Amino acid sequence: MSGLDALQAALAQPFMQRALVGGLLTGCLGGLLGSFAVLRQLSFFSDALGHSALLGVSIGILLNLNPTLVLIPFAVLFALLVNQLVERSRLPTDALLNIVYSTSLAFAVVALSLVESYRGGIQQLLFGDILGISWWDVWLIAGLLCFATGYLVISLRAQVLLTLDEDLAGAFGVRVNLHRLAFIVLLAVVVAVSIKAVGVLLISAFVVIPACASRLVSRRLPVYIAAASLLGGFCALLGLLGSGLTNLPSGPCVVIVQFLGFMVALLLTRLRPAPA
Amino acid sequence: MAELVLEVQGLRVHRDGVAVVDDVSFRLAAESDTALVGPNGAGKSTLVAALLGLLPRQAGVVHLLGQPLGPQGQWPRAIRSQVAYLPQTLAVRGRFPLTVRDFVGLGFDPAGPGLPWRGGRRRRQAVDRALERTESLALAQRLISELSGGQWKRVQLAFCVVRPRRLLVLDEAQAGLDAPASEQFQQLLLELRRQEGWTVLQVSHDLDMVRRSCDQVLCLNRQLRCSGSPDHALSPQRLAELYGPGFVPYHHHHQPTPR
Repeated sequence: MSGLDALQAALAQPFMQRALVGGLLTGCLGGLLGSFAVLRQLSFFSDALGHSALLGVSIGILLNLNPTLVLIPFAVLFALLVNQLVERSRLPTDALLNIVYSTSLAFAVVALSLVESYRGGIQQLLFGDILGISWWDVWLIAGLLCFATGYLVISLRAQVLLTLDEDLAGAFGVRVNLHRLAFIVLLAVVVAVSIKAVGVLLISAFVVIPACASRLVSRRLPVYIAAASLLGGFCALLGLLGSGLTNLPSGPCVVIVQFLGFMVALLLTRLRPAPA
Repeated sequence: MAELVLEVQGLRVHRDGVAVVDDVSFRLAAESDTALVGPNGAGKSTLVAALLGLLPRQAGVVHLLGQPLGPQGQWPRAIRSQVAYLPQTLAVRGRFPLTVRDFVGLGFDPAGPGLPWRGGRRRRQAVDRALERTESLALAQRLISELSGGQWKRVQLAFCVVRPRRLLVLDEAQAGLDAPASEQFQQLLLELRRQEGWTVLQVSHDLDMVRRSCDQVLCLNRQLRCSGSPDHALSPQRLAELYGPGFVPYHHHHQPTPR
């Protein structure tokens, strides 16, 4: 059987169809949230969230609960606590995030070592298993994508001012705390929901790489946001098809395609004439 | 008598539990240009932040256009929309995919929830006019991250003047501008006051500019040390009281901007 035949056979399988739809939506969601996360220098925050999610999963396993259901409130609570810590502490944000995520990773590994047999396995937690997602997961991601798009469109002006300068935004009437917290909570929920498909180690790539590629080539904000989102979805789709064709792990294949997209964007900026 | 735009009585503001601004009272009449001067760490930016509702106050009463500032430092929405603010620095880190035109358009209706394309034609006309007034029309398609310091300041001013307002608060907004750009900046402020009735409150370290352009000076060093016309408040004796006995003001030579 040729590679193409194998791909056609795979595409006929419901699990592959779910994976493609789920991957497309997760990629779009990551790119959408990533567009503002990158501008606000929250890339490391999303990375720390992803790594710390392992602790949430471990708690779920220890308590014999569905890890995904535990992960959402855990990620939200974690993000809010870290936000408070960053605001109240006088330490640099990157140092604080490093402390928090390495500590939670340590606790997670200790917690997992207490479980004699974990069915999912550590490999699945680290790199995700997009082929294992259910239609329920796909609907959850679709709902979240709709909500995030609506929120960001309606509050776009406030989000941009907030990204530029919080005092400027506050002086012009933007409810700074409300929008900053809402965005962090949204980012936490997106990370938590995407972990199953993408994994702890690769989730930040979904948030950061498409947004950075789009940032290199876009000149208008709506174009930048839309391109980041579409690029995220397109790379996910292409990566999954490549994975189906080559029988290589799906999550890493998607990230490799995202990286290639980033390199193309970088090349385009080199070819573009400098502004007058 | 000119209408009162801002009235501050007995204002006290803390930072980290320390009173950085204490018992400050003053008034701004409509169409006036008032300078807030004082040494570094005197509490000028803190005072501005409290007036804008960005910091809570520990004591005092603030009225803007007759409306009181709320206990948590919040202005009613209608009042807040009458104030524009230009911060000391507005740093754009890395490539920022926002054109000058789109940035200035944000000032048209910045705060509320709403679809981003709302007010399309009116917004475009207002943006063009604001860019013309600040001589920034040629920059309209540039990214805000591609501008020089002086261009970025002009564009920020366009952001502030894209819709009519009553009070413009500037926190060392002219720092870093060369002499012609600074002069042009002051001319525009004068035009805004004379033609559209704006009132200006500007934090500044440029005492020459304050002498030439402002009609009231507030000397702050935690408390208000003196206030009045530039000739009165910036006399050598008062400057020595404000900045210390060794202070010798240096004078530039400029054509005066009419007050």
